[in-house]
Amino acid sequence: MKTLLYSITVFFLMVGAAFAQTPGEEKLRQALEETMSIAANATSSAALIEKVRPLVEKNMAFNVMTRRAIGPGWRSFTPEQQTQAIKLFTELSIRRYVGRFTIGEKPSVVYRTARMLGHGSMEVPTQFVYKGNRYEVVYRLDQGEGWRIADVVVEGVSFIANYRSQLDAQYQKGGVEGVLQSLKNAVENPR
Amino acid sequence: MKKLPVISLLTATTLLIGCASTREAVRPSAPDGKAVVGDPSKTGFEEDLDDYNVRIADPIEPVNRVTFWINHQLYRYALRPISKGYEFIVPEKGRQAVYNAFENVKFPVRFANNLLQANFPRAGQELGKFLVNTTAGVAGLGRPAEHISWLADVPAADSGQTFAFWGIPNGCYLVLPILGPTTLRDGVGLAGDYLLNPITWCGFIWGGYGWFIAIPAANTMRALPAQMDVYDAATRESLDRYLAARTSYIQFRNEINARAHKNTQENQ
Repeated sequence: MKTLLYSITVFFLMVGAAFAQTPGEEKLRQALEETMSIAANATSSAALIEKVRPLVEKNMAFNVMTRRAIGPGWRSFTPEQQTQAIKLFTELSIRRYVGRFTIGEKPSVVYRTARMLGHGSMEVPTQFVYKGNRYEVVYRLDQGEGWRIADVVVEGVSFIANYRSQLDAQYQKGGVEGVLQSLKNAVENPR
Repeated sequence: MKKLPVISLLTATTLLIGCASTREAVRPSAPDGKAVVGDPSKTGFEEDLDDYNVRIADPIEPVNRVTFWINHQLYRYALRPISKGYEFIVPEKGRQAVYNAFENVKFPVRFANNLLQANFPRAGQELGKFLVNTTAGVAGLGRPAEHISWLADVPAADSGQTFAFWGIPNGCYLVLPILGPTTLRDGVGLAGDYLLNPITWCGFIWGGYGWFIAIPAANTMRALPAQMDVYDAATRESLDRYLAARTSYIQFRNEINARAHKNTQENQ
């Protein structure tokens, strides 16, 4: 009897916890679970990217990401150049992000308590366990984009900061055209 | 205490080179001691400008770039094929067991550095993990400690982390031949880790082909697939591999140091 009562309490607590999730967390969880299922059943990385593409396009805030990745130089971009940069950076981001998922493997993910950062920004810390190895992954979501992913920080390494160092160097060297050219090169010559 | 001369040397070198004034963190630390990306007090584009800048002094960048390029060729034409061959010949379970055993042997590195960081509970956890994995895990081939919640997920301490804990700055960025990205501080830390590794002791005590060549070679081999993965993850879809690797390395070490610091504070 006690066990039954205990189970019922635990059940309702769990249901409660599920409902207590914010829309941002819920959206992230759905997107992640879906991406991981596709990766687990994918046959090649090219196929994986094409399958996940619509999902990623729906769930990542590429406008914000591009702006932040380019940094100070963004102000010198004309609207047309901005559109072009977003298009190129989107392609690069999809390939880089999806490339982190291992084909044929489904990690288990622990979702930790989300932190509100203010100004419509939120961090959801997670832990991925791949074959007994743990990876701390923090998702940063932006409300302005409908709680889309604006940065992914894997073991302290920020997706955006990684590109910022490279794109800012390109801007210092070759200005707006330098940035666009380097993005184009990277898209055309996958690494 | 053997470390003291090494540390004075490091400090002196750092002062000489004059790159001690580096701002290390991606951003100021949050109250919980963890470096976070995103500052709630700023909005919009103002925030975009300050965030995501990873600062590290790199006064010898041209030299580093050459070493980095040579390393890249070495990975591409030698180490990656060796790594692939190893993965092809030895089944995954075997590779994992060998990997585990070498990690288990490195116990003194983690234990000593926990003590040097005055993190006694974590030193105790490391000792417990070592005993469980050495006995129940058959010489560390298995990791049964992972199933004991107290012993699972113990953050690994190293000498570079200890130096950071003592407040020694990164100094400047360095790319070492074969080993790759590090900093002046972490490079000295690598030397410390090397000296704390029982494999090194055995080499100096018994010497010979086995301890100086075969065992270190096996140690390198077992770590290669993971090392190649880390390199690929950092430089995948990059515009400039050198900068991608540098930024990733610095952020990763900042995170490790912040985590160790937080863990020590929690344990005190």
